[in-house]
Amino acid sequence: MQLNKILFVIAVLMFIAAPAAYAEEAYLNYKSYCMQCHGMHGKGDGVNVPAMNVRPRDHSDNKYMMTRTNTEIYKAIKFGGPAVNKSIKMPAWGDVLTEEEINQMVGHIRTLCCEREIIRGVNFK
Amino acid sequence: MKRVLILALLVVFSSPALSSAGEDGAGILKQRCAKCHDLTGPAPQTIRKLWERDAPDLFYAGNKFRREWLVEWMQKPVRIRPAGVNYLRTINSAPTQKKEVKDKNYDVLYGAVLRPLKHLKLKPAEAEAVATALMKLKPHDKNVAGFKLDRTKDVGLDKGEVLFDKVYGCLSCHQIEPGYGGYTGAEVYTAGRRLQPEFMLSYITRPKNWDPKIWMPNGNVKPDDLQRIVNYLITLSKEDFSAAK
Repeated sequence: MQLNKILFVIAVLMFIAAPAAYAEEAYLNYKSYCMQCHGMHGKGDGVNVPAMNVRPRDHSDNKYMMTRTNTEIYKAIKFGGPAVNKSIKMPAWGDVLTEEEINQMVGHIRTLCCEREIIRGVNFK
Repeated sequence: MKRVLILALLVVFSSPALSSAGEDGAGILKQRCAKCHDLTGPAPQTIRKLWERDAPDLFYAGNKFRREWLVEWMQKPVRIRPAGVNYLRTINSAPTQKKEVKDKNYDVLYGAVLRPLKHLKLKPAEAEAVATALMKLKPHDKNVAGFKLDRTKDVGLDKGEVLFDKVYGCLSCHQIEPGYGGYTGAEVYTAGRRLQPEFMLSYITRPKNWDPKIWMPNGNVKPDDLQRIVNYLITLSKEDFSAAK
C-alpha cells in the first residue's frame, strides 16, 4: 500500500516536473536566439539587420505568414533557410533547440502577428 | 586620540595596497576577477542563467586563449563583442513603432555602439602571473582532442570571405573588420591572435559542447570548409586594422 502511494507520487511528479525542467519556454527561446535578427518583437528588425544583405522575415506580417504552413516553419527552424528555399543567413537550430522546443516555437511564431505581448518572468531591461 | 586616528587612516589606506601586492596569479584571479567571471564552471545550463552572465566564462581559458594575447589584452583591455557579453541589456527596442520616427527601422544598441569597455587594467607582471594561472584552467581537453589545424587548406582572404559571408552566413553576427558585420557575436578579425586554432575548430563544429545555451548555432560546417574558415581567420588576424578603427 505504502509502496503504491510512493509510486503514484513519483508518477505524478514526473508528469508535472519533467516537461518544465527540460523544455525552455518558446518565448524565452525566441528572445534569446531569434531576436538577434528577427527583432525583439518579431518584426524582422533585429540588431544585426544593418549588417545583413538579406532582410530577416517579419513574423508579425500576417499576410505573408498565412501563406506558410507549420511544416515549412518547422523545417526552416530545424534545418535552416536552404531547406525551404530561403537564404543561408537563417541557420539550422536543430542542434540548439529540442524537438519539443521547435514545435512550441512554431506555435509562438504564430502568435506574434496578433497577440499582445505579455512580459513574463524575466525582466529583459 | 590623534595617534589612534592616524593609525586607523594608515591601516585603511595601506590595506588595499597590501592585498593587491600579491604577485600570485591565482590569488589575483580570485580577488579581482571572480566577481564577474566564472572561474569554476560549469557554463550556464538554462537561458535564465545565461542572461545573468555579464562577463565571459574563464574556467576553460587554458583551452581557449593564446597566452601572448591574454598578457597583451589584460594590460590594454578593449571591447571584443560589439554588443557586449550580455547583448540583451544593450538592446533598445520599442514594441510599437511610432509613425513619426522614420529613422528607426531596426533594433539599435543603447548609446554609441562601440563604447569603450570597463575592465581592470593589470600591470605587466600581474598580467603575466594571471595569464599563467588562466592557462592552467583546462577542463575541456576532451573537446579539443582530435582537432588539428591543417595549414595547407589556406584559401586566402577573398575565398575565405566568401565562405564566411555567403556560404555559412557567419558575417550576420561576426565582424570581419571594425564596423563591418553583425553585433551580437565576438569580433573575428582578432580571433586568430586571440584563440587557439584547436579551440576554433572545436567551437565552430559544435558551440553547444562549450556553452550549452549559447546563441551561436551549429552551422553544420563540412570538415574541409572548417579548416578553410579557421585558416582564413588566422590569415585575417595578421592584417592591420588600425587604419579602419
